[in-house]
Amino acid sequence: MTEPSTVPPRSNRRLRQRLDRLATGVIAASGIGVVVAVLAIGVYLMLAVLPLFDDAEVHVDAAPSVADEGAIHAVWLANDGTRWLTRDGQLRDAEGEVATLATSAAITAVAEAGDMQPLVLGLSNGEVRLVPRDDRGRLRWAQASTMRLFEARGVAALTLRRVAQGWVLAGRDSQGEVAALWHTGEATRRIAVPETAEHIALGHAGRLAMAQGTQLTLWELSPDGGGKALARTDTQAPVTALSFLQGGRTLIVGDAEGGLHRWRLSPDDTGWQAAETSYTNLGDAALRRLIALPRQRLWLALDDSGRLGLYQSLSGQRWQGQAPVTMPPTAVSINAQGTQVMWLDEAGTLQRLAIEAPHAAVSPATLWIPQVYEGHSDAEWRWAAAVTGDEEPQYSLVPLAWGTLKAAAWAMVFAVPLALGAAVHSACYMSRRQRARLKPAIELMEALPGVVIGFVAGLFVAPFVERHLAGTLALFVCVPLGSVACGWLWRILSRRWGLHLPPVSAGIGLMVPLALLCWAALSLSPWLEAWWFGGDLRAWMHQQWGWDYAQRNALIVGMAMGLAIIPTLYSLAEEALSGVPRPLAEGSLALGATRAQTLWRVQLPAAAPGILSAVMIGAGRAVGETMIVLMVTGNTPLMSPSLFEGLRSLAANLAIELPEAAVGGTHYRLLLLGALLLFVFTFVVNTLAEMVRWRLKRRYRRYGGDV
Amino acid sequence: MRIPRVGGDGVWRWLSGACVALSLLAVVALLVLVVTRGLAHFWPADIEQLTLDDGQRIAGIARGSEAGEQRYFTANRDLDGQVWRWVETQAIETRETPPELLYAERRDWGPFIGRLTAVETPAGERLQGDEAERRLRRALAGDAEVTTLHVRNVEGRALEVEFAQVASLSWPNRMDIGDKLAAWGHGVWRFLSEAPSDGNTGGGVWPAIFGTLLMVILMSLVVTPFGVLAALYLNEVARQGPLTRLVRIAVRNLAGVPSIVYGVFGLGVFVYGLGGHLDSWFFAERLPSPTFGTGGLLWASLTLALLTLPVVIVATEEGLARVPVALREGSLALGATRFETLRRVVVPMALPSMLTGVILAVARAAGEVAPLMLVGVAKLVPEIPVDGEFPYVHLDSKFMHLGYHLFDLGFASRDAEAAMPLVFATATLLVVVIVVLNLTAIILRHHLRARHRALEHS
Repeated sequence: MTEPSTVPPRSNRRLRQRLDRLATGVIAASGIGVVVAVLAIGVYLMLAVLPLFDDAEVHVDAAPSVADEGAIHAVWLANDGTRWLTRDGQLRDAEGEVATLATSAAITAVAEAGDMQPLVLGLSNGEVRLVPRDDRGRLRWAQASTMRLFEARGVAALTLRRVAQGWVLAGRDSQGEVAALWHTGEATRRIAVPETAEHIALGHAGRLAMAQGTQLTLWELSPDGGGKALARTDTQAPVTALSFLQGGRTLIVGDAEGGLHRWRLSPDDTGWQAAETSYTNLGDAALRRLIALPRQRLWLALDDSGRLGLYQSLSGQRWQGQAPVTMPPTAVSINAQGTQVMWLDEAGTLQRLAIEAPHAAVSPATLWIPQVYEGHSDAEWRWAAAVTGDEEPQYSLVPLAWGTLKAAAWAMVFAVPLALGAAVHSACYMSRRQRARLKPAIELMEALPGVVIGFVAGLFVAPFVERHLAGTLALFVCVPLGSVACGWLWRILSRRWGLHLPPVSAGIGLMVPLALLCWAALSLSPWLEAWWFGGDLRAWMHQQWGWDYAQRNALIVGMAMGLAIIPTLYSLAEEALSGVPRPLAEGSLALGATRAQTLWRVQLPAAAPGILSAVMIGAGRAVGETMIVLMVTGNTPLMSPSLFEGLRSLAANLAIELPEAAVGGTHYRLLLLGALLLFVFTFVVNTLAEMVRWRLKRRYRRYGGDV
Repeated sequence: MRIPRVGGDGVWRWLSGACVALSLLAVVALLVLVVTRGLAHFWPADIEQLTLDDGQRIAGIARGSEAGEQRYFTANRDLDGQVWRWVETQAIETRETPPELLYAERRDWGPFIGRLTAVETPAGERLQGDEAERRLRRALAGDAEVTTLHVRNVEGRALEVEFAQVASLSWPNRMDIGDKLAAWGHGVWRFLSEAPSDGNTGGGVWPAIFGTLLMVILMSLVVTPFGVLAALYLNEVARQGPLTRLVRIAVRNLAGVPSIVYGVFGLGVFVYGLGGHLDSWFFAERLPSPTFGTGGLLWASLTLALLTLPVVIVATEEGLARVPVALREGSLALGATRFETLRRVVVPMALPSMLTGVILAVARAAGEVAPLMLVGVAKLVPEIPVDGEFPYVHLDSKFMHLGYHLFDLGFASRDAEAAMPLVFATATLLVVVIVVLNLTAIILRHHLRARHRALEHS
């Protein structure tokens, strides 16, 4: 140190001490700050994921009182609850009448289907009145048109649904006769249904569900004016309420004993899926109303005793409580987000229900237990969270977890033998100098970015292996046999001609023969393939075992990710092996054991915990590796155990879907749940591994090792 | 397990040796593949003109063969709709290398291979034959002006190319080895210095290099002080006990947390959290289009700083632990305060190891792609995020990154086949950068250990 060695003056001492305290404080603060910051990752993920599992809530808000006599006769209520239509066609608000809709008879039924479809009013003379909407979804009362649905009797109930180029309307008259109107473009056709029903509901593509007592019938209406019965089934108790959910593929049936059941259209829409699903009952009273909400396949169920429940198609009952009034609503309106339901009851009072269930479609069961999804006939684990329109999102994390573990497992299958073999070789058979040379090479290998390995594997190795599958598989047999053969040859040569080649350089010396061997195996494999597998191993596998071959598959990801984790595994395992106190190995050798015996009986058992921790840390890396999996696997969320099919891992899924997911939505939070799973898994595995390593080091130190 | 007493030794030695050999072989093969393919991309190889047995004519550059078929890079995407052609070796009747075949790289539609028929000058002249070529050569050298090139492919289909569209032009079959070397160097330089063109399938990677560099520099500015201070705290200030051990384990663990998780954290906390707030406080007039509330340079640097923090901490701690206790005690005994001991004795001795840590962190950050995909990297940003406009460095702008460029070229580009040579070139660049950084760190550490060993023995 070049500082002058004069004693600092006394006045300086206080300053120096203050400076010392300050610096210590700053260092401590930033040190603790860093530790807190890194722990914040876990905390943040936890906080972001927790809302997924919040309980759903339905609040009954104090609604603005309606001081209008006409409200008692309301049949329709606007979205915001400020205007309503009475039975005789008056559009009113709290102040009084706003407009009048000319009708030839009293309004007896109402149907709506979202913000862009017309409002349909059924009249007591069998006609329907259609109120169109403009581009912004505002109702045009003045442009209402009239069509006839029933000849004589009045309309008792209506149900409306949007189809590809228009809408379908089905109605029931006071005697239970059913008829429908199919509107496409300009033409509207009437379809007579020769059935009687107490309850009707329209699903997608003109599927009409009708219930009469305990009989449930599914009809197919067609745009050309025809129709036919598809299925007739019996329910356990008389049906009292029917409703199709968002998307129109799932029917909810409420019965007189309070039972709630789900019926799903089969994948080809020609009948029901094999089994109905029952939900938790509200009580024993008959179900009175089912109100399907426009989002998340949610619905409200109201029974005769005034109990109210919120349900989701897959996750079941989310909330149960008491309805604000026991009287069933005369007019109901739901906002487009499905977060607010207003109803007017027979007494003319307005009720407002606020529904807080932003992530109702997610429950532990929907995440981890197979579900029967719309459009599929069996219970399956599926992941398809980014959906458009009215498709049902499939939120099972199992395919992603499976893909992650599958990729990691195959990577370990490749990496563990190679890395441990290399570690054993360098710890037991290499000189200190050779080891010191090998280490930087391995460190360089560790530094190779995943994106480079992934791109070579995905764009070069994958097509190559596809063409030379037999050769690649042959390598797994040829290389071990070949290297042993090389050793044998070497020994014979050195004995016969007295060549004194240093045997320790086996690792380096084998590179050239192995390269030649690989080349030979690959170039001979076409003959092998032609001879045994009829020229094409992939076709043969498909024929014999029904295995499909995807170009980017688990085999490639195993090789690529294996290469990526070999350095980590090697470094840690080598550290554990070379840390075994020398006296142990030397004692064993001195007692007459061979090197191999010493290795298997002394060194490996002693280093076993360290090797285990190396394997754990390697597994942690493999589970979280993103780019390689993203580039090499094809990213199909399949649940196949096959080595030759693709997969999608949690990490790759994050990279693909997170930039597109709406912030705060169910999909976004589920992706964050995936990230949390990765975080927790690697954190736990690494902590265990660190603890094992620490104990091992302490043990070595006790035996006199120099770690 | 029953192990034979005699002769078993060899089997295990050779099997484990094979593991070393195979691992090294895989890495060497990977590096050789990437580097040779990447560098070969710029080599002006001879253009072959083939006449097939059905009379068809093809001109292209031979690139690899497979089971009796040869692969040719035939360029001319606008004429043929494809740039690669597999030709059966048996179907080739003649193979020649006519000296007049030219290879032109265009800013749209990729390269062109064919013959020059005429050039037009600004004066409206139309020059043909040797005169056209002389004029074109002068124009390429900057001595004359040319507006339009009239060219034909080997089948005789004519095409007009604006001179401004031509990025480079050469007659490879006439070049000798010196010319080719010069052209190769020029190609490499253009790759390093130009912006991508033609939907990322052509041109260079300069914005990606610059983006990577800038991001890495910003990241080091953040990670170095915090990493070093945290290591100082753990090693010098905090009381050594179960708590510090726990913290140390936690820090080591963070090195094992998947990088994409850091990306998720960056997206949620930096981009949507901090960025969203910054926007509503300072950039409210631009909302709803986000300024800092979307991925950008700053957030990417911060995310990667967090990601590389454990690397710096671990390396610095290692260096601090190697400083002999006697030196510390000596300094304290002479009356220095703890801070003075740190500043004058401990930190200077541990400086190289801190440097090693930072270099390793930089190498890690340069190769990391997954978190960047969430916090600010973009497919194509031709402008670099530094310009003459206040605040000069645009921390909120999206940027290009070599690693992501590689991913994008290979997996998301509209014509992955056409982009392949460029993918290899980009990969070569990335690998070279990372290998150089790591080698520096390794050499630095090696010297450092030697120095400490000498110190301990003295």
